[in-house]
Amino acid sequence: MKSIVRCEINGEEHEVLADGRDTLLELLRERARLTGTKEGCSNGNCGSCTVLLEGAPVNACLVLAMEADGAQITTIEGVAANGALDAVQNAMIEHGGTQCGFCTPGIVLSAKALLARSSRPDTDEIRAAIAGNLCRCTGYDKIVAAVQAAAQAMEKGP
Amino acid sequence: MRELHYESPTTVHEAVRALGRGDARALAGGTDLIVQLREGRRSAACVVDLKRIPELTAITQDADGSFRIGGAASFTQIAAHSKLATAYPGIAESGRLVGSHQIQNRAGLGGNICNAAPSADAVPIVICLSASAEIAGAHGRRTVAVEDLFAGPGQTRLAADEVLTSIRVPPVRPRSAGRYLRFTPRREMDIAVAGSGTWFCLGADGTIADARIVLASVAPVPLRAKAAEQSLIGKAPTPNVFTEAGRLAAREARPISDTRGSTEYRRELVAVLTKRALEACAHDLRIRMDGP
Amino acid sequence: MNAPEPKTDLKVVGKRLPRIDAGERVTGRAVYPADFKRPGMVWGRVKRSTQAHARILRIDTSRAASLKGVLAIVTAADFPEVPMGSSIPFGETGQDLWVISLINMAREKVLWIGQPVAAVAAADPHVAAQAIDLIEVEYDPLPAVMDIEAALAPGAPILHGHLITKGVEPAPRTASNVGARTLIARGDVEAALATAAATAEQQVVVDTAHQGYLEPQAVVAEADPTGFVTVWASTQGAFQTELMVAGLVGLPLSKIKVIPLEIGGGFGGKILTHPEPIAVRLAQKCGRPVKIVMSREEVMIGTGPAAAARIAVRVGADRDGRLTAIDGRYHIDTGGIPGTATTLLMQASAAPYQCDNLRLEGFDVVTNKPRTEAYRGPGGIQAVFAVEQAIDALAQKLDLDPLELRRRNAAVTGSRMPIGTPFPSIGLTTILDRVGAHPCWTDPIGSGRFPRGRGLALGYWRGTSMTSACHITIAGDGRPMVTMGSVDLSGTRTTMAQVAAEQFGLSIDDVHVVMGDTKSAAFSDAAAGSRVGRTMTAAVVEASRDALEQLKARAAEKLQCGAGDVTYSAGVFGTQNAGGASIALADLMKATLTEGAIVGRGVSTKLPLGVEVGAHVCDVEVDTDTGQVTVLRYTAFQDVGKALNPTAVEGQIAGSVAQGLGWALTEGFDYDSQGRLRNASLLDYRMPTALDLPPIECVIIETPVPNVPYGVRGVGEVPIVPPAATVANAIARAVGVRIGHMPMTPERVLRAIKGEAFGKV
Repeated sequence: MKSIVRCEINGEEHEVLADGRDTLLELLRERARLTGTKEGCSNGNCGSCTVLLEGAPVNACLVLAMEADGAQITTIEGVAANGALDAVQNAMIEHGGTQCGFCTPGIVLSAKALLARSSRPDTDEIRAAIAGNLCRCTGYDKIVAAVQAAAQAMEKGP
Repeated sequence: MRELHYESPTTVHEAVRALGRGDARALAGGTDLIVQLREGRRSAACVVDLKRIPELTAITQDADGSFRIGGAASFTQIAAHSKLATAYPGIAESGRLVGSHQIQNRAGLGGNICNAAPSADAVPIVICLSASAEIAGAHGRRTVAVEDLFAGPGQTRLAADEVLTSIRVPPVRPRSAGRYLRFTPRREMDIAVAGSGTWFCLGADGTIADARIVLASVAPVPLRAKAAEQSLIGKAPTPNVFTEAGRLAAREARPISDTRGSTEYRRELVAVLTKRALEACAHDLRIRMDGP
Repeated sequence: MNAPEPKTDLKVVGKRLPRIDAGERVTGRAVYPADFKRPGMVWGRVKRSTQAHARILRIDTSRAASLKGVLAIVTAADFPEVPMGSSIPFGETGQDLWVISLINMAREKVLWIGQPVAAVAAADPHVAAQAIDLIEVEYDPLPAVMDIEAALAPGAPILHGHLITKGVEPAPRTASNVGARTLIARGDVEAALATAAATAEQQVVVDTAHQGYLEPQAVVAEADPTGFVTVWASTQGAFQTELMVAGLVGLPLSKIKVIPLEIGGGFGGKILTHPEPIAVRLAQKCGRPVKIVMSREEVMIGTGPAAAARIAVRVGADRDGRLTAIDGRYHIDTGGIPGTATTLLMQASAAPYQCDNLRLEGFDVVTNKPRTEAYRGPGGIQAVFAVEQAIDALAQKLDLDPLELRRRNAAVTGSRMPIGTPFPSIGLTTILDRVGAHPCWTDPIGSGRFPRGRGLALGYWRGTSMTSACHITIAGDGRPMVTMGSVDLSGTRTTMAQVAAEQFGLSIDDVHVVMGDTKSAAFSDAAAGSRVGRTMTAAVVEASRDALEQLKARAAEKLQCGAGDVTYSAGVFGTQNAGGASIALADLMKATLTEGAIVGRGVSTKLPLGVEVGAHVCDVEVDTDTGQVTVLRYTAFQDVGKALNPTAVEGQIAGSVAQGLGWALTEGFDYDSQGRLRNASLLDYRMPTALDLPPIECVIIETPVPNVPYGVRGVGEVPIVPPAATVANAIARAVGVRIGHMPMTPERVLRAIKGEAFGKV
């Protein structure tokens, strides 16, 4: 069954024709041509496909495209505002939090969701917030350091 | 994968009708169902999304102090409901065990029950708490104890057109506590190798007046360890008593060997987890555990 | 963290600079093959064997071919047969193309569940999936051999009827499941063990593990109307991918180009081709660009994991704790096709020590599992899991501090490697001194709810050099543009930008570095064996000097002096003469734009080795009721020669340690007796999450390699080598039992602790 899905992605209205079998991940990557969200496992076990759905981090591979009708979605492409990187992105660059980069979009969004609800997370909270995002390159230390630095930068304000 | 039709009803009545057309499955968080459909482990021509039905996503407290958790409410919602989390920390915590934040933002208690995996982490504690399921079908509504919902691995006793609209958890009994502990090789993301939900309440004399022990991953369905429960009644809550209950629970367990663990290991875990869950309950009740 | 102060006044090399390509990664703009599209592109899907061991009697593609929307189908008949003994260039050893051809597609026989048997292309991915199901394969099942023991048992089913074990004198008369025997020996181990004051033994079994890169293999391939093929790949080596594809499909090298895109992790698992030759063949047949993206399940069953192993080690020492013997037998599971080498992993287990008597015997054993491929330091973690436990046990028997035992026997510059060559430069004693002085060694372990223990283990990896090449052109504004022939696997765009900036006396922002493709860059071997950072450094240095010589010649003209009188510093050419004129690089280029390109060329081949050495220390707490091991603290000491970029070096070390800890504790393939992988998903193939690892502290030591630019050593492989032994030694100190099965899952740990009482509740 094919049907039009209307949703807001990164502040822009999208209208796409989706197949009933499509996941939100497929809608984003194939229909909306936003390939920043990655496919690592397709069964919710790696977090590479993490997006914010109504502000909450979810695995896009576990959401049907149809479910996203009327929804507000943020992907990695929507994080930088007018080309200006946000605090998490800058900190990830500064602190070596990204190597191959495949987990990075999902990590950035999980970190953003954390900092939206907790302005001074300790390292345990940070690790818990990204526990659903596997990273195979970094061992996580520099990601944790980056998120802490981002939290501090956000507190200081612009 | 077969072509899939998507329905998004806004009332329970519409949902029941859609399911009644056959070859359809109810969709709540989707974290189990979508994977199963894509991998061919379940099959459906239609999914019926319950999340746009207000009754299904609400969490409310009735005048008598009982809680109603909507069948499609997520674990994140459950943990964020401060009254529920305060009254029943065991429920909020068990929800936090189910996968990552990403999973918890979608998955919920209703789906955990209806998916009916023997390893379901949110189920033992609600059985311990004598929760009941409110079910709506073509023939009207009925109430069933959650404990009686499970027919086998992956199978509930819901009819094809029935919707689990809410789970009712009775009001907190005085001097009671309930906890669920599970064992996984990693700190997160894993399916429980074994799990134990325990609950007890104290009588006026400080001994255990009533108790429940429900085990996960060691039988085709969540398993009440009744002999272990009985061993607690009338006893003082002490480490030795808990150790014995754990041992009995381990003997009642009927685990299999699979890729996640052997039969013997699951028995070992049941004994340990039951004891530790009971100790956690005692801790909630501020009972000291430093003697034998 | 702990990089020491630089001794020279390097301005860019040695600095903690952010990756120059981090911006694309944090914005989702980095393009991996799965993200890449070509006009008219269609989808390819692979049909894989459902039998672990079987003859292929018949493949019937007719029903698939008549499905509407199927554009092409390939089977083994579409690929020329590759004879045994065919090889392609790859460093000093080459790569066996026959092996790669069977990894590409089974021929006559299937050897593992997941081995490709056919493939289709269709515009709609759902049609492609349906077509796969419509291809009928008739198998004649054969008994499956699922582990080393079964493969070696008398009467075992023989996987390859021609396989006569190499390295055995006289050669065996009948085929077996052993590919080759390798022996490294000196002195007389039996005599030394017989007279040793103390001996220790350790036997281990190691389960197959996977490199676990997060990006599944993906490729886009296109054949243009003239037959020229372009491949957009995620690969550790574009030139090797090209050679493999060309060799398997039958293309001259002038008719193919491989463009490496971003790679989402490789760790050794993306050196050999997987879907690439199939994608090319499908593209040729249907005349459309073809994209293949492997699913995670396909990655788990259809790529090349790291070797399972059975290893038995005996060690002996005299009363003073001097090692007198290391005797090891190493059986390495090579999967369905023979050929996994054992020499490097055996060397890894003995190289850190001065020991006169060695007998290291290695065998590769075939089983009905996917063909083993490289992982970081292939075989090292398995070998060291045995040897470093035996050495630790020896320390216990001698009542000697384990660090002191290592000190007394540590290899030093000039001492003999296992193969006999003297170590040109090794800083192991420096590492050990740093360990002894570090809080991770001197801090009390503290107490917790459960027993705790501290473990130490050494790691060694020889690495390799092979060939790296680059060229440098100069843009019209005077800025150097570096084109590397190697892929950026470990951050080499950034580190090479640092080297070029240092050579030109410029800022890193003034240098532009790209990965070339196989027609725009000079041949370079794959990123493997910890070689690119160091060898590309040498190539960049040479290319920089070459470019500067050419520039100086032009500057001489402009400055009206002899070329030999031209000086250069930080972007400005001047002359030796007092009061001489000068010209900035930017102005020189502007003034000489019409004089042709400046092309500085650099190549490094067989650069002197800088061996990788490390020592790891960890504290664990063992839950004696569940067997769960918590790593409380982990410190990795490593000699990197020179840290080109300390942040990048730490990242490599920590990530590699994390992989080692994963295999040490929770990662392992679980096959059933029919060859089916029970844990083919990331749910049950358990890689560590952020909650499963402690902070991993990296201590960088710098003992430069002589005669190598900046003295750089390889970094990325040795950190994976010690963790399993480090944790095992800590567990032994905590609970008094040694775990000989990797991964040391909670169940295995509890079994070892409880012994007979296990399961009896």
